[in-house]
Amino acid sequence: MNPPGSLEGLEPNVDEHLSTQVLEPSVNSDNPQERIQARRLRIAARLEARRREALGEHLDGKKESEEDQSKSYKQKEESRLKLAKLLLCGTELVTNIQVAIDIREIHRRVEEDLKRQRIEKLEDEVKTSQDKFVKITSKWEEGKQKRIPQELWEMLNTQQLHCAGLLEDKNKLISELQQELKTKDDQYVKDLKKQSDDICLLLERMEEQVKNVMKTFREELYHIEKAFEMERQELLASNRKKWERALQAHNAKELEYLINRMKKVEDYEKQLNKQRIWDCEEYNTIKIKLEQDVQILEQHLQQRKAVYQLNQEKLEYNLQVLKKRDEESTVIKSQQKRKINRLQDTLNNLRSKYAKQIKQLQEENQSLTLEYKRLMTQFKELQKAVRHFALIDDEKFREIWLMNEEEAKDLIARAFDVDRIIHTHHLGLPWTAPDFWFLKNVGPISQQPQKSTTQIVEEMLLRTEEEEAEEAASESESYLDLPKQISEKTAKRILMLLCDESVRRGRAAAEGLTGVFCCRGLCRASALGIESEDDLYKLVSFFLQYRAHHLSSSLQSKPCSQASVEEASVEETSMESELELAERTEMEGEKEASLVEGEKGEEEETPPSPWVIHPNDVLKILKAFVKGLRKPRDSQAPLRVQKSVRSNSKDSEYWRALTTVIPPSRLNLWDALYTALEKYHLVLTQRAKLLLENSSLEQQNTELQALLQQYLTSKVGIRAFQGGVAGGGGGDRGQELAVGNKESPPHQRRCDVKNQQWHLETITGQRSRSCLKSPPG
Amino acid sequence: MQDNVTSALLDPSHSSVSTQDKSSTGGHTSSTGPQPSKLSSITPVPAKSRNPNSGANFHRMRRIIAEDPEWSLTIVPLLTELCIQHIIKNFQRNPILKQLLPEHQQKVLNHLSPDLPLAVTANLIDDENYWLRCCMQRWPVCHVAEHGGSWKRMFFERHLENLLKHFIPGTTDPAVILDLLPLCRNYVRRVHVDQFLPPVRLLAQPQTGDQSDSGSEGEMEEPALDHYQLGDLVAGLSHLEELDLVYGVKDCGMNFEWNLFLFTYHDCHSLAATIKACHTLKIFKLTQSKVNDEKARIIIRSLLDHPVLEELDLSHNLIGDRGARGAAKLLNHSRLRVLNLANNQVHGPGAQSLAHALAHNTNLVSLNLRLNCIKDEGGQALAHALQTNKCLTTLHLGGNELSEPTATLLSQVLAINTTLTSINLSCNHIGLDGGKQLLEGMSDNKTLLEFDLRLSDVAQESEYLIGQALYANREAARQRALNPSHFMSTITASGPENSG
Repeated sequence: MNPPGSLEGLEPNVDEHLSTQVLEPSVNSDNPQERIQARRLRIAARLEARRREALGEHLDGKKESEEDQSKSYKQKEESRLKLAKLLLCGTELVTNIQVAIDIREIHRRVEEDLKRQRIEKLEDEVKTSQDKFVKITSKWEEGKQKRIPQELWEMLNTQQLHCAGLLEDKNKLISELQQELKTKDDQYVKDLKKQSDDICLLLERMEEQVKNVMKTFREELYHIEKAFEMERQELLASNRKKWERALQAHNAKELEYLINRMKKVEDYEKQLNKQRIWDCEEYNTIKIKLEQDVQILEQHLQQRKAVYQLNQEKLEYNLQVLKKRDEESTVIKSQQKRKINRLQDTLNNLRSKYAKQIKQLQEENQSLTLEYKRLMTQFKELQKAVRHFALIDDEKFREIWLMNEEEAKDLIARAFDVDRIIHTHHLGLPWTAPDFWFLKNVGPISQQPQKSTTQIVEEMLLRTEEEEAEEAASESESYLDLPKQISEKTAKRILMLLCDESVRRGRAAAEGLTGVFCCRGLCRASALGIESEDDLYKLVSFFLQYRAHHLSSSLQSKPCSQASVEEASVEETSMESELELAERTEMEGEKEASLVEGEKGEEEETPPSPWVIHPNDVLKILKAFVKGLRKPRDSQAPLRVQKSVRSNSKDSEYWRALTTVIPPSRLNLWDALYTALEKYHLVLTQRAKLLLENSSLEQQNTELQALLQQYLTSKVGIRAFQGGVAGGGGGDRGQELAVGNKESPPHQRRCDVKNQQWHLETITGQRSRSCLKSPPG
Repeated sequence: MQDNVTSALLDPSHSSVSTQDKSSTGGHTSSTGPQPSKLSSITPVPAKSRNPNSGANFHRMRRIIAEDPEWSLTIVPLLTELCIQHIIKNFQRNPILKQLLPEHQQKVLNHLSPDLPLAVTANLIDDENYWLRCCMQRWPVCHVAEHGGSWKRMFFERHLENLLKHFIPGTTDPAVILDLLPLCRNYVRRVHVDQFLPPVRLLAQPQTGDQSDSGSEGEMEEPALDHYQLGDLVAGLSHLEELDLVYGVKDCGMNFEWNLFLFTYHDCHSLAATIKACHTLKIFKLTQSKVNDEKARIIIRSLLDHPVLEELDLSHNLIGDRGARGAAKLLNHSRLRVLNLANNQVHGPGAQSLAHALAHNTNLVSLNLRLNCIKDEGGQALAHALQTNKCLTTLHLGGNELSEPTATLLSQVLAINTTLTSINLSCNHIGLDGGKQLLEGMSDNKTLLEFDLRLSDVAQESEYLIGQALYANREAARQRALNPSHFMSTITASGPENSG
């Protein structure tokens, strides 16, 4: 059953086919599509195989029936099978020899076991013979020791025997082996012969096989050809028959068709004729109608043409117009363009100008700011100077006051002296010196040792202006250490807040002076027991501290609840002062009304500065402050506050009082005395005059006597006497005027002081106003 | 005696050598010039007269007018004709071929003598017709199919084979072969040498003739018995694919000596180095050369991880279990597809190691263990291996003293395996029961095409039934081979039906 030749040719094909079928859509391929395809094919193949198994016989039968149809196919199959069988048998026949030789070889190999046995036998033999040999050689030693010849001979004999035996054994073995060799040689020769026979047989069989195969192939080829020929013949015959039959049928049908066709042709001809007549009639009618239509249409066409021409002309005209317009528009366009260009140029110029101006203005602005700064410095310097002057003025005022007072007192003293003299000398009455309060007074009355809060505030206001600039620089410093520098302005605000608070409570609503922060502040301050400068500063610093402390934390968490509590506590302290406050404000109200109005406006304008403290917090702060202060103070301050104001009236009173040192009764006395004295004087003067006249008359007499004597000698002396009498009357009147002048100066001075005071106040008012004007920022 | 043999053997090659090399001591050729040589080459074969020379005598030309296809009435030949004649005449001295027009080339080639020296023709002429003439002239029987259908290749392969066959180490000049190397290196793909002559020095020693019986003593003279070393030759052949060697002497007749058939260790080592260096080798055959375990292992070791080797044939040697183990190792360290260890002395352990290697091998297609002695232990191991192997198609276990247990396992394998197509279990002792079991296994198999159970004590009936099954398988395979498209179409046609 070794591979037959023909199948050998087939097998590679089978393998190839199998391999290609397996390889083409491989399940292990990289392409997923291919894998899917492969799996599908596999599934289909399995299903197909199962189906075939089920319908196997049926299918086979079908196949056979199919095969029956073609004789040549059958013949082919038959011959193929026959040839395959032949080849198989032939190759089997040929390979049988090989197989036979193989099995012979195996048998021979089995016989090789004999070889092993032989080798073993030989080895045994070698061993036994070796033993024997050793025995013999050992005996030689014994023999050497033998001295007796008989024994030696005997031993030699035995040795010889032994050797002979050994040799015999060996020879036997050799002969055996030679025998075996001979047989083997024979066998070898036989084998050779056998093998050559086998080869001959093989060749023979091969040749035979080849011949057989060629023969059968030829035969089969002949058979196949024959079968094909037969089939072809049959096919030809059957086809011819079919062809003839079809031809006949075709002929018959064609005849039938021809007859039918002729009939139809006749019918159609008839129909055509009918149709033609009918068509002609119709054609005529339509022609007439169409001609009419044509005429109408031609008319229409004419009309249209006219319209068209009209339109054309119109359109041409329009076109002309439009062209003109177009030209115009182009002209305008160019103009506009030029204009635009010009405007662009101007725009650019203006822009450049604008830029230049901006630059210029900036420069101007800078210069102005510089100027402003310079002016501010100047202004400050001026203020300083003003304050300096104010101080100086005060000093001067005091000095003048003192001087005047001294003068007045001198005068008074003189008056008293005069009075005393009058009393003692003229009237002869005892004179007692009058004891008035103002006589002991020295210096201006308004001067006070302690500064009131008003002054502090004033000072503060002044200072705030001064130190506005410094504030920024000093802000970084801790406010606890330097409360004054930082908080001048802040203090003002705090005070204002205090005022507001009062307004809110409705207490001060009636007064309508919400903005009078100064006095309000003062009131408040006094109400809280703040009298001294230090206290105020403390308060301010306290405020700042508090605010700084509470700014980050929740300030207004519960302002309402606390407000009521605070109100109660604050009210207690402030209740007394509230009443006084009402009165005072009424008094001062008019004075400060002017200030208030300006300040009101300014207050509203001030933007909320970072220093702003919420009014709600103020009470809290104040309460805390009051608690911390712990020094209940008596409220004496209000009385002193008004001294500076009252001093003016007192001054005038004072000065008036000074004038009334001499009571009027005394003056009346003096007047009466004066009149009496005058009368007396008059009498005296008349007497003096008379005396003088007398003397002059005497003199004149003497002179006249002289002159008379002279005149007597000459006439001139009479004229000179008349001129001397006229000059004596004018000197009396000048003395009276001088006395009147002496009394007027004190009165005049008083007026001057008043004027000065008023002047000062106006100045301070102005300053405070300007201070408010300038915003803290 | 041997001298006669060798001289007789050398005779055919002698003439070729002389034609190839003019300077060598040629027999009858004289190196006077091309003209006389041509005349001399014509005169021995007057009957052929393939070269109807215009310069030849008039009568001869007249005589053969009827047979001359190139005869023409023009008395004066064309100049081109004359030129071609001249070129042909002086081809040896001045070979002009490539410069000619194709038709003239053809003409020249048709008239060139096959006796031209190879140095001129080898690399110049590619025309198959010329080489066909050369071959036909030298060898009466030419089987061009064995040489890839190329006459030129056949000429060079057989020429080289001749030279190698008659090379006597120590006597023949190695240059004889090495000179040929540059001429034949591009054409020789297969070297098939079925005899290597031993050195001639053996002759000078009469004692060898006396001790001809003692083959064992040959080892003493082994160094003197080295054969031709193929190393240089094989290294020179750039396209060598097949190496088929038999270290033995043919036709020794009554001059037989064991020493003539001695594959020495030196030979073995040099051969191993040679094949290791040859990276184009695909087929290596070393048969009938008394290769024992040691030599087999030397050779196999050199073949480990060979890049292209596909077939190894070590049949008719003396390889035992150790050699088989080496071969088993080679199986998984190369791309070997065919392994032939027929007629060796592999026993059970060797077969077991082979089976172990085979179990996970994916290259080997054919395994031949004919006429070994693996017995049941080896057979069972192989059967177990075949249960996992998915590559082997041909297995020859003929004459291995297998019996029923192996048959039982093999029947199981037959039911599972779908790659095996041919199994040979001839000349074993399968027995009746074994045959029945194999028949059972066959009933489940659809791929096996050949199953040889001759002379293995199997019942006639089961053998016949197995034959029937094989026939059915063969028919099925043939059907699949004949109309794969039909097979495919039925599948694709039935595919949607089944799925839908």
